[in-house]
Amino acid sequence: MSILLPTYNRRRYLPYALASAVGQTYRNVEVFVVNDGGQDVSDVVRAFGDPRVHFIDRRENRGKPYSLNEALARAQGKYVAYLDDDDVYYPNHVQVLVDALEGSTDCCVAYSDLYKTYCHVLSDGDREIRSKYVEVSRDFDRFLMLYFNHVLHVSLMHRRDLLDRTGPYNEDLNILIDWDMTRRLAFFSDFLHLHVITGEFYSPIGDSDRISIQRRKDPREYLRNVLAIRTTHPPKPWDKLDELSIIVLADRLDQDLAETCKRLWRHTFYPYRLYLPLVPEAIARLDNQMPNVVLVPVDPLSSPAERLDVALQRAEGRYVAILPGALPVEEMWVENPLYALIHDPSNRDGFLLAGAGGERWGGVVRRVDLERARNAYPHLSVEASLTACGIRVRAPRAEELPFQFDELLRQAWQADSDGDWSVAARLCEHLADRHCNELWMRSMAADAHFRAGNDGQAARLCRQVNQVRPTVETLLLEAKVHRRKHEFQTAIRLLQQAEWGLQDRLPAPARTPMACSQD
Amino acid sequence: MDTARTDEFEKRKQTQHYEVLRELGDCYTSVGNYVQAQRCYEKAASIGPDEPGPYIGLGAAALQTGRCEDAEIAFRVACRLDPNCAKAYAGLAMVAQQRKEYPSSFDLYMKSLELDTDNITALLGLFQVSCEMGSFAKVIHYLQVYLDMHPGDTSVMFALAALYLKDNRPEEARRMLLDLLILEPMNNDAKNLLEEVEHCLVPTG
Repeated sequence: MSILLPTYNRRRYLPYALASAVGQTYRNVEVFVVNDGGQDVSDVVRAFGDPRVHFIDRRENRGKPYSLNEALARAQGKYVAYLDDDDVYYPNHVQVLVDALEGSTDCCVAYSDLYKTYCHVLSDGDREIRSKYVEVSRDFDRFLMLYFNHVLHVSLMHRRDLLDRTGPYNEDLNILIDWDMTRRLAFFSDFLHLHVITGEFYSPIGDSDRISIQRRKDPREYLRNVLAIRTTHPPKPWDKLDELSIIVLADRLDQDLAETCKRLWRHTFYPYRLYLPLVPEAIARLDNQMPNVVLVPVDPLSSPAERLDVALQRAEGRYVAILPGALPVEEMWVENPLYALIHDPSNRDGFLLAGAGGERWGGVVRRVDLERARNAYPHLSVEASLTACGIRVRAPRAEELPFQFDELLRQAWQADSDGDWSVAARLCEHLADRHCNELWMRSMAADAHFRAGNDGQAARLCRQVNQVRPTVETLLLEAKVHRRKHEFQTAIRLLQQAEWGLQDRLPAPARTPMACSQD
Repeated sequence: MDTARTDEFEKRKQTQHYEVLRELGDCYTSVGNYVQAQRCYEKAASIGPDEPGPYIGLGAAALQTGRCEDAEIAFRVACRLDPNCAKAYAGLAMVAQQRKEYPSSFDLYMKSLELDTDNITALLGLFQVSCEMGSFAKVIHYLQVYLDMHPGDTSVMFALAALYLKDNRPEEARRMLLDLLILEPMNNDAKNLLEEVEHCLVPTG
């Protein structure tokens, strides 16, 4: 397998990162160190004297995506993993991920958990560790991945041949580079989440001068990158995603239509292609610069339903959104009904767009259903033809909407901030029971119970977590509960483990780590 | 994540290692392993040099091993780091008490209790020093305040009953002991003291 390690002006920390890469218990690795035009590190790399380490020493600074592509062009491994020059793997990192991928029949991507290690950087550059938290241990959620990255790149491993389908790293991006790739990987594979801590990434306390942080603070630059990521799709066929065809039925090409398209471009994160049925004269006038737009010439005298029929013949997506030009396009405008449609167990329903109804009818349906309805009842309106075909188009219910977990988590955080710790604990326990992300939520619930004074509940949850994946945080919490009960020897044992974890790494979990992949 | 939660987490992410070491020091102190306790407190003090906690621990460990001077230095450092640290004053009071400097010890316990009326160590220390000095009024007041907040604390109930008796208030002592024996019917110290109180209450002549 191949480990890619781009570096730029971090001479001091590179030896630790590189040592952790060559020190893997899984020995069959090749490591590519790419100096992206930074300080000379050739002596650092040479000092390892390890034939498995390949050094690409470039004088010119071309950015991280360029460096990764450069290394990938030479990589030979079946799998690829990534390491930043100021982070470290634990010795089991590669073994854990390779074993999981070799043992999985459908996942070509896996990721583990990492400690976020807060440290003080001393005047000589040394890092003094203050705390280690597994801040996020989020199970894979494809819909979320399309919207926001929840997988740390340093924890990621994937089959190298997947890149033949995703394409290389996008060298036009200067932030969110990792998300761009994980998002594209999600078009082709589920991700296996391994609840094992296999490394650390460092976060210097009070350091807000990092280039990536500064760039994220520039809203225009941020939006430019986000839109570039959302609108760039890998080549088809996609194994795990079905495209959405959005057909906008506008009366004419005017400012309102232009505004609708602009908002749609800005607010849609699900991969789509936009179909605009317009009269040829309007198409000739249109100076379109939006990506993923298909202009469909239609007869000037045709009705909206007839225009839809023409556009539908060109549509490729499994799902079709029909948008009357006048509907407001906000965040989640199409993802809410689309998510309900994708997860509809009846396979018979379609879902209304928010604000649609009456004259301004708009909804999301399966393309096969729409084609059947239009073929059977071409003389009817779109809505009437669907009804005549037995397709019920309704508003999605609250429980059918996406990001249920995130909404409840937000409520838990709010309760926690308000000092309603028992409420926060209950919400987290509910999430653990019903929404995966079990260890993460149980840890949070334990903390909230402890602060609410529910020692028994806190101890129970900590024990459950620590038996599977002990962390410094949960060991400390369980120890505090035992100390309150004057069980000092047990508290000492737990605190010793926590201290060991802060210095180095935690002991192996007592049980086989859980794995969870979610479509 | 909102601001309150962020601030809270901001603080916690800087103090986890410190907290582990301080907790470990406290646990080692509780089981009488003062060598390990000292090691942990010293490490905690190096990570959190502005925190009085490890110095309180170091002082307590030194006191337990009879090193009064080391204890005094540690408690004084804690006082300097946090001039409102009730535990530091209680520690200094204990040092004075060990040296039999009762008036000074009394004042330091009082100072500690002014800062934290809930400090049981200072309260019981004040009780002991008061007994040595034969001065009960102030300590009775603090014990009453404490009992209002912790109505079932039998050790304080017993101390208060003893003080009532010494202060020639046997009726109040008797009531306190009867309440205590409802909570702890097998408390022999309380039974013996009650016997003594009732003996005092028997009309003479």
